[in-house]
Amino acid sequence: MQAQEDVEPTVRIREVKKDRVNFVLGNVDLAFANSLRRVMMADIPTVAIDMVEIETNTTVLPDEFIAHRLGMIPLVSANCDEAIRYTRDCICLAGCSFCSMMLELKVACDDDNTMEVTSAHLEVVPFPEEEGSQDPGEELSKRGEWFGHPVGKNDPNVPPVLITKIRKGQELKIRCIAKKAAKEHAKFSPCSAISFEYDPYNKLRHTTWWYETNVEDEWPLSENAKEEEAPRDDEPFDFNAKPNKFYFEVETDGSLGPQEVVMKVRLRPACCS
Amino acid sequence: MNAPARHESYVLEDGEKSVELTEDTKIPNAATIKIVKQDHTLGNMLRAQLLAMPQILFAGYKVPHPLHPYFIIKIQTDGTITPQEILEQACTKLIATMSNLETKFKREFSYKDVEAGGVTAAAGEDPYGTAGGAGTGAWGRGRDYLDF
Ligand SMILES: [Zn+2]
Repeated sequence: MQAQEDVEPTVRIREVKKDRVNFVLGNVDLAFANSLRRVMMADIPTVAIDMVEIETNTTVLPDEFIAHRLGMIPLVSANCDEAIRYTRDCICLAGCSFCSMMLELKVACDDDNTMEVTSAHLEVVPFPEEEGSQDPGEELSKRGEWFGHPVGKNDPNVPPVLITKIRKGQELKIRCIAKKAAKEHAKFSPCSAISFEYDPYNKLRHTTWWYETNVEDEWPLSENAKEEEAPRDDEPFDFNAKPNKFYFEVETDGSLGPQEVVMKVRLRPACCS
Repeated sequence: MNAPARHESYVLEDGEKSVELTEDTKIPNAATIKIVKQDHTLGNMLRAQLLAMPQILFAGYKVPHPLHPYFIIKIQTDGTITPQEILEQACTKLIATMSNLETKFKREFSYKDVEAGGVTAAAGEDPYGTAGGAGTGAWGRGRDYLDF
């Protein structure tokens, strides 16, 4: 057995951008690296529209079509660990401002041009408080200015998400409830993509490169190959070798920043999710 | 209408035990442990950690059914330690690796922050509307994410 276990893990961040981070993870087990990937992908909670009440829909799309699209819109979820509760942990009966966000979509077209209904039309509205619910929670004070708003709503350079197109006389009147969750649905994932690579030369033969005439031409090396030594032509196969270096690129949909996604990874016990 | 609550697949119910150990009656120093409300994320990394420990003769896990939110892990040791103890050690080891990694990530991010003159600030003030002291914007000010 290799005594590799006593080596500490290493991290090298190659690039951080507004919506992505690229890093190299070293000295960990393949299973560990994959668990890290799985957690970032599926276990980090965010806020997303989860219930939709449609009052009027005279557009060409059916209600459930629009409800589905609304659910997929990323909402700003920064610091949602503290800024919002899970509905299941809340003392309210059917949603309140501590465990839900309310958004409204009210658009009508009354000119002759086709109009685009986008996430920019979604407005966050204050939750109608039930009487006598003087909840002492401090969640509201932990929210940023744009918490729960569609991503990019505060930035004219970010194109909004198209929901549907409407023509003269058509109307959409919708009330949405957004909740915090993870794992229950892919819409709660903060990541739009995570690329994960190891062993760019396939020295470990974990995969077989299928090819028609020439392997080198049909399987161009990835950028990450520059980080590793090319195998010699006569190099014998080392069947004891283990992967040791993992190349990640975590891209988020904007609901959380890339740094927040990575730093929220921890062992998540099922008792407190 | 009869659908179970969606979070039931990953949140323990009130009083539900997360771990259940059954000693093997036929094989020495072996046990089967059922871990509920967890999946391949924990199962596979635990298995790998166990296999890297010298006292282990066997470690394997499975998720018996994709709709049943638990996995079982089978462990056999060489007798110098019980399966329960070695599982505890493996978990401790994984937690240590995780927190070590967290420290390193924190440090790497702070370097990147300095390089870019504050990533968050450089990327147009407050890319995710996190003004008001919460969220990504606060990273650049050297605050720990636990401080929020
Ligand atoms: Zn509530």
